[in-house]
Amino acid sequence: MKKITLIIILLFGLIVEAQNTCNTAVAVSSGITTVATIDGTDGVMLVCSGTGNATAAEWYTYTPTNNYTVTITTDLPINTSQDTRFHVYKGSCGSLVCHSGDDDSGAGFLSTATFNALSGVTYYVAFDNRWESNGFDFQLTEAVYVPPLVSFITTPITSTGSYRNCVVDMNGDYLDDIVAVSATNININYQQPSGVFTIENYTTDNADYLPSWSIAAGDINDDGYNDLMYGSGSGVTFMKANGDGTGYLEVSGPEYVFSQRTNFVDINNDGDLDAFVCHDVGPNQFYLNDGSGNLTHNQGGLGDAPSGGNYASLWTDYDNDGDIDLFISKCNGGGAAASARFNELFQNDGNGNYTDVSVASGLYDPIQTWSSAWGDYDNDGWMDVFVGASSFIDGSHKLMHNNQDGTFTDITAGTGIDTFLDTGIEHITHDFNNDGYLDVFSAGNKMLINNQDLTFTETTVGFSVGAVGDLNNDGFLDVFNSNGNWYRNEGNSNNWIKINTIGDISNPTGSNLNGIGTRIEIVSALGTQIRDVRSGDGFRHMSSLTAHFGLGSDTSITQITINWPSGIVDVINNPTINATINVTEGQTLSINDFLSEDILIYPNPSKDYIYFKNIDLQEGKLLIHNINGQRIFNFKTVENKVDIRALQLGTYILSFQKEQRLYQKKFIKK
Amino acid sequence: MQIKPTKFLSTLFIFLFLFSCSENDNEELYVPAESPVNYDLEAFPYTKLSDYNMFDGGLKNQSPVLGVIPYQPISSLFTDYAKKKHFIWMPDNVSANYISDFEVLDFPVGTIIVKTFYYDNVLPTNSTQIIETRLLIKKTTGWIFSEYVWNSSQTEAFLDNSGSNINIEWLEEGVAKSNNYRIPSESECLTCHKKSNISTPIGVKPQNLNSTYSYSSGTVNQLQKLIQEGYLNNTDLSSVNSVIDWKDLSQPLELRARSYLDINCAHCHSDNTHCSYRPIRLSFKDTETSEDNIGICVIPDEDINSTLTHVVSPGRPERSVMSFRMNSINESTRMPLIGRNLVDDKAVTLINDWIDELTQVCN
Repeated sequence: MKKITLIIILLFGLIVEAQNTCNTAVAVSSGITTVATIDGTDGVMLVCSGTGNATAAEWYTYTPTNNYTVTITTDLPINTSQDTRFHVYKGSCGSLVCHSGDDDSGAGFLSTATFNALSGVTYYVAFDNRWESNGFDFQLTEAVYVPPLVSFITTPITSTGSYRNCVVDMNGDYLDDIVAVSATNININYQQPSGVFTIENYTTDNADYLPSWSIAAGDINDDGYNDLMYGSGSGVTFMKANGDGTGYLEVSGPEYVFSQRTNFVDINNDGDLDAFVCHDVGPNQFYLNDGSGNLTHNQGGLGDAPSGGNYASLWTDYDNDGDIDLFISKCNGGGAAASARFNELFQNDGNGNYTDVSVASGLYDPIQTWSSAWGDYDNDGWMDVFVGASSFIDGSHKLMHNNQDGTFTDITAGTGIDTFLDTGIEHITHDFNNDGYLDVFSAGNKMLINNQDLTFTETTVGFSVGAVGDLNNDGFLDVFNSNGNWYRNEGNSNNWIKINTIGDISNPTGSNLNGIGTRIEIVSALGTQIRDVRSGDGFRHMSSLTAHFGLGSDTSITQITINWPSGIVDVINNPTINATINVTEGQTLSINDFLSEDILIYPNPSKDYIYFKNIDLQEGKLLIHNINGQRIFNFKTVENKVDIRALQLGTYILSFQKEQRLYQKKFIKK
Repeated sequence: MQIKPTKFLSTLFIFLFLFSCSENDNEELYVPAESPVNYDLEAFPYTKLSDYNMFDGGLKNQSPVLGVIPYQPISSLFTDYAKKKHFIWMPDNVSANYISDFEVLDFPVGTIIVKTFYYDNVLPTNSTQIIETRLLIKKTTGWIFSEYVWNSSQTEAFLDNSGSNINIEWLEEGVAKSNNYRIPSESECLTCHKKSNISTPIGVKPQNLNSTYSYSSGTVNQLQKLIQEGYLNNTDLSSVNSVIDWKDLSQPLELRARSYLDINCAHCHSDNTHCSYRPIRLSFKDTETSEDNIGICVIPDEDINSTLTHVVSPGRPERSVMSFRMNSINESTRMPLIGRNLVDDKAVTLINDWIDELTQVCN
């Protein structure tokens, strides 16, 4: 009897002690397990759900004998009013890898997570004392295995800085790097071809303004190293990279602006990147580039509501006319003028003149939004928009479908957007599962996975929107957010292609070096997909400048068409897939390969019209740039003469592209 | 026509003055007859603070001339520990009307509301330094913001509505602190000082003025003083539901919390204000009866991080957005949105203590 008691005590004692560390974790299977109290000495340093480490935890293992979709929950009546949190790991003690976990998905502060578990794999489950040490019961349930829509692995990364909100290539090797910013430091994790990161810190002069509201990256002096723009609540700071990207020059303000979204974009189409900043409490502001990276402050003409309400600017060619337009997600309190509350769309006429077409487009909407996700959700070649609500008080999320005539139709009903009830400030779109259809990453740690038919399925990813890029160059998009974690996309068998755009800065009519503002179109069996190269989408973050396309099971791409901001078009046939291709502007064109007798323009100089001989202009496209490289005309089709009466006196460059041949000739307007 | 008591007294003084002059025997009666404030509504705002002639002697002494009445809100706005002096002035023959205890007084055209921001014990000399003086002036077209920035020699303040920053280091209760103090631009002023997109004062509502103040002439209720001065039409003040000084530790936590939230947050979290699209309503009146208004068990619109489950999570300050934002110095998560860089530690303690005390169970 005594022996038995002793054995029971020993066993009990062993069990109590056993689950105190990862190495002594106790195996559990389906059913209910009671946790007496959380006092295990192995705390939680790798947080898979929620924030903040924990000093103590109770550890269990689970090794299924079949593939299951497993649910672990503390959301049981016996636990009412308690506060639990747990993490699910793969790997081995000492080198655990996040797999799942939850903090508060259950009722009150209880936890529930559903995840996939594969036969024979051991999963570690740690319940921690982040909130409470009290004991509780948990239940493990095995259900039929359902493959995940998309899957990410939480991977901590040593990124140190006050603001961790930027993923972009910083050193010109076309591999996405991770940037973290502090007042006097820029910390960069450079992605290496080997798959590891090399960390560098660059001390800077004290930034007058920090990227507390947003950050953007772009190469404003075309030297191959991206510069940064910090958007703060009272001004903007530019950090200009030196000639080899090993130092940054701080240039600030002095203009007051309550920054929201910032972008680099060629606003006036002169081939140089300009900088734009949304103003919360006044008309938007922008800085025009003189071509050498010197920026001149401007205010007016791009959203002039006196009391602002400008939260996110998104530059896209919504009307497929070859120039970039501007959508502004707006938000403001009650009683604000309509100009400060209703979303705005500005149409670029191709000459750098922006006209407010908000009402005519159907996008003039009082929905309180901090950002909207522009993408072609049905692969019809035209940009649609998911307008994301930050509050449902003046309307909920909307999916607006592009009618291809300058207007949009609200198709929200029945798409799954209408039943998506989380609100938030970040709404972005990418193809996260490489199936060839754009998904939405939105509020509530959720993605809306495109069902390929203009409906969406909500799926919880367990982390919030961050900067997006490919951090291991595997063709699947990863996320890096302010938690300092790399959420590594586990990928699947789908195919993909990535494209880097390199503007031709040697040609006065060429685009900016980053190719920001370029429209890329690819055609494969599943249809036509389009992307814009954008610096600054969503609300806060800077995401990769590399265009990424999923291809689903398509094994080839018929054609890639690259519509540069300059107006020039490159076409690439049958590219290699599951690879990254770098395209230099004009690389597929033979310049001035027309025989001299092929084309004749006259008179030159001219004061009213230019006539053409030996060419049918309707067989190609005609561009006119001024001598500073600013595009003046972008004609898709013209008669056999060009009206130049409206041009100011001076020298211009005429470009005529017919298929893959480009003809360029200077002429003088007198 | 209403006869203002001051006018009557002034007239009496003039009479006595003239009379006594002839007698030439009473120095005490050399009192300015009318407020010497340099009133020229068309010319407002002046380029220099001294142009208004609102202060006697050295401008930096902030010693008000006749008619410039000092006041002190019962519960005050936190502005990075800067101290404040408040004054109000009105032209002759006009008065403010009382609307309700929770609404800003209906001020007449010509009213000037003055707020001077300064720090004591500024390092290294341990001296007082005035940073800025903000004027709200009611023109015929409405309230305008006029921001006067003090020079380093503290002899003058100059109109500058463009906004700027100044570094300051000082001793706060014996502890050295530093701040990159923000002097607001006009649009920053408007962000808080607006209702239905129309500029407005904030603190001068009866429930925040219904307390005594020690004037040079004696201690009087501030609203009563305004009535005496002819600045406020006579009204029954007996039913004013006053806020309390949130720093008064003897008061109940809830009353202190509501009083703090009223002056620090309600200008944006009320109907028709900058953040009215968010669900909370934080004025003293709005929080009197509604737990929803103060954020108890309200799910936040914005997902700062998933551990913050409610705006106010009863018993759990660490799960409450309100506590998190008040404790944040990150521009994009801190609250109030503008007007501070530093954390108001005592207020965070107050709010945490109040949340700790709550026992509601959220659905």
